[in-house]
Amino acid sequence: MSKNTDENQTPFGGMDLTDQDVQEAMKAIPGYLDITPGDFKELYRHAYRHALERLSRSLTARDIMTRDVICVRRETPLHEVAGIMGSRGISGVPVVDSDRTVVGVISEMDFLTRMGARGRKNFLSVVADCLKTRGVDFLAMPDQRAEDVMSSPAITVTEHVSYMEIARLFIDKAINRAPVVDQEGHLMGIVSRADILEATQRTICKIPSQ
Amino acid sequence: MFGNYFRKMKGTTKSPPRVKWSEICWSWLGGFVGISVVAYLNQSVLEATGQMLFIASFGASAVLLFGAVKSPLAQPPNLLGGHLLCAVIGVSAYKLLPTHPWLAAALAVATSIAAMHATKTLHPPAGATALIAVMGGEKIHQLGYLFAVMPVGVGAAVLLAVALLFNNIPRNRRYPEFWI
Repeated sequence: MSKNTDENQTPFGGMDLTDQDVQEAMKAIPGYLDITPGDFKELYRHAYRHALERLSRSLTARDIMTRDVICVRRETPLHEVAGIMGSRGISGVPVVDSDRTVVGVISEMDFLTRMGARGRKNFLSVVADCLKTRGVDFLAMPDQRAEDVMSSPAITVTEHVSYMEIARLFIDKAINRAPVVDQEGHLMGIVSRADILEATQRTICKIPSQ
Repeated sequence: MFGNYFRKMKGTTKSPPRVKWSEICWSWLGGFVGISVVAYLNQSVLEATGQMLFIASFGASAVLLFGAVKSPLAQPPNLLGGHLLCAVIGVSAYKLLPTHPWLAAALAVATSIAAMHATKTLHPPAGATALIAVMGGEKIHQLGYLFAVMPVGVGAAVLLAVALLFNNIPRNRRYPEFWI
């Protein structure tokens, strides 16, 4: 997995320090400080970037994943898959082999695609189609099984991948979840966008305000 | 091509703020006590024995020790290490090139800077110590490497003792920041 970071990008946005801020801070510390405000700002930038990188590495897939994953087997009938996703209120499940090797992922998107969603694949575009044609093409679906509609191969991560890298992966691949697998590809857990959001929150809260 | 070269000469930042008056007063007092102790010992105790404890570069050390207490340049390893190292380098440079004082002086100072950087003991006044070893006259030259012990080593140690005792008296001062 490639780590896609822009080296020239300042991590501060509108939060960069001004000369005035540094001058005031230097006045607040008693005694003569043997450093120029310019040097201090440069030091601060490097230290801040370093801290961000350290914090982003500190949380990995292993730390943020959901462990008791709801998953389906290759041969699970599609109506059962939909039933599980509906009753558990989840928008995607990993599909596994008999030995829990991850072979694919089924998401709402895969269902919508099968239901004839064109262009933007979301629920309302299916509704729009139904209203136009007075029906939706479910006819071929009842006999199908998980493996017939799943996205395969699954985009997975291993447990030591940092949450920042997973976030990057979600953006680059336009996905909402990634199964976490061991070296042999066996399912260990799953990381969703919500887990990333929570990890971000935990990381920011760890930066001391003083 | 030269545009950037000359642009660099404009500088990029502003000077640090001026310190408070209380800081200025403590710095004055520290400098006064530090130099008076070394100068008095030199004059009253050692002059009769023909020894010497006092060299001009201690004035510069006092600026750092009492005027920029927190500076890495003013810390004990820099003060002692810098002066000792540069004294030895200065004496060596003179012994190597006694007939070319200008070259010995340049060699002494340049080598001092490099050696202090390499040993993390950068202390600007020690550059003057190296220069004194070369240009300090007959009396200094006769000392040979003893110059590094007395006046340089002992004098710097006395200054360090005064800095330790004095700089920890004011509420807003502490010394040192580090020992190694």
